[in-house]
Amino acid sequence: MANPARLLIVDDNEDILSTFYEFFNSLGYEVKTAVDGFAALKILRDKPDYFQCLITDLVMPNISGVGLISIVKKEYPDLKTIAMTGYGDHPGALASEAQADIVIFKPVDLFKIERKVAELIGYKED
Amino acid sequence: MTSPTPLIGVSSPMLKIKELINHVAQTCLNILITGETGVGKGVVARSLHAESNRAQNNFVQINCAALPETLLESELYGYEKGAFTGAHKKRYGKFLTADKGVLFLDEIGDMPLSLQSKMLHVLQSGEFSPLGSDQDYKTDVWVIAATNQCLEENIKNKTFREDLFYRLNIIKIDIPPLRERPEDIPALIEYYFKRYLPEHPNTKALRPDSRTMERLCSYHWPGNVRQLQNCIKKQMVLSSWDKIFEELPNDAYGTETSSSEINSPGHSTGAAFHSSEHQLDNDPGNRRLSIISEFVDLSTSSEKLFEDISLKKIKKLASDKVEKEVIIFVLEKVGWNRSKAAKILKVSYKTLLYKMSEFDVNPPMS
Repeated sequence: MANPARLLIVDDNEDILSTFYEFFNSLGYEVKTAVDGFAALKILRDKPDYFQCLITDLVMPNISGVGLISIVKKEYPDLKTIAMTGYGDHPGALASEAQADIVIFKPVDLFKIERKVAELIGYKED
Repeated sequence: MTSPTPLIGVSSPMLKIKELINHVAQTCLNILITGETGVGKGVVARSLHAESNRAQNNFVQINCAALPETLLESELYGYEKGAFTGAHKKRYGKFLTADKGVLFLDEIGDMPLSLQSKMLHVLQSGEFSPLGSDQDYKTDVWVIAATNQCLEENIKNKTFREDLFYRLNIIKIDIPPLRERPEDIPALIEYYFKRYLPEHPNTKALRPDSRTMERLCSYHWPGNVRQLQNCIKKQMVLSSWDKIFEELPNDAYGTETSSSEINSPGHSTGAAFHSSEHQLDNDPGNRRLSIISEFVDLSTSSEKLFEDISLKKIKKLASDKVEKEVIIFVLEKVGWNRSKAAKILKVSYKTLLYKMSEFDVNPPMS
């Protein structure tokens, strides 16, 4: 890829975070990670307009994924958002709160997410 | 109105909370503030209001635990003249007075289930109608809620609605208890000294010397900042730190404080456990064994024993044991009137019923 797509991935589970990082990195994406919504918000405020897609867990300490997505929709409307919701935390109630472009249920299929990411930012690029 | 209390603290969790407030106050997303009683949940809520673009509008507070259900409902939504007996004139609810401002719902964990669904509806639609009115009002309030309860637990017990929880828990600010951030204590003492001195111009109260300060910093403060604040108020009158220490509950440390021990992670469990823990520290080994033996079979081999010992399991067993006794004690005092008992125990009626069945507590056969 001449101009690598830039992703921000947020999850409070470090294992998930590193798995995502490795996977997207190996496919040529430029990946930044954050362990909670607040850390992610600070990265976004530091580099507005830098990222093209945000992939976030929903249940996290301090700023939840729902909160992060609401802020992003308001402050960075061009940033595409994918919400991931876990098996343990009653996805129905939570997913309905999130206004993400796409909601994905865990356990996630990484290749499927990659296709969604490509679709989301691809349409915009072309 | 007195100027609001600033958020005082130099510990890293408090600095992080200040930073978080600074970043999210403009978003006006629903916020849930959690923490033990007296940690300053109200102070955080007011700071959020003060830093938001709603600072010029009302900050309206309501304590969901202090009012009976029907009164809470009419306080929140207001009522029309003649809505019920005694409704002689129209009254505006908090949702209307907080319009364009902040509505701070304190002790949200105590809100009755029936009101929770109405609350959820208002949060989703921004519309509500006062009691006895068929007119819908549109409201734009920023809802900040606070609780000292574990709402996740309440959801499991079916005393709190999960969908309302997710609606409120968009941003969560968890304030750690004071004993986990003793480095904030000197700054808090200084603040309250300055605040109360003008009210007691003739006081001989002295600020704590270094030894006293060390003792204050190593106390476990079950009532958190509010308890510390009351101590400073008392000091203005008593002018004796020794007397203050005498009156502190469960101060089993005596004069020889060991702050390292008190600040160890093991001590950061529930406040109720501190007294027994400190007795354990002071009493001989056999007393310790006798307490442990209530929850673990000590007669097995040490290998098997270590397999059986789990702090989490023991904590649950110990708290269940004490809770059961307290519940029976209170129920007996009120003649097994469960709603009275729930009020005294400061839990919801549902929680009490759940616990009674969990612990197999039954009224005596008449």
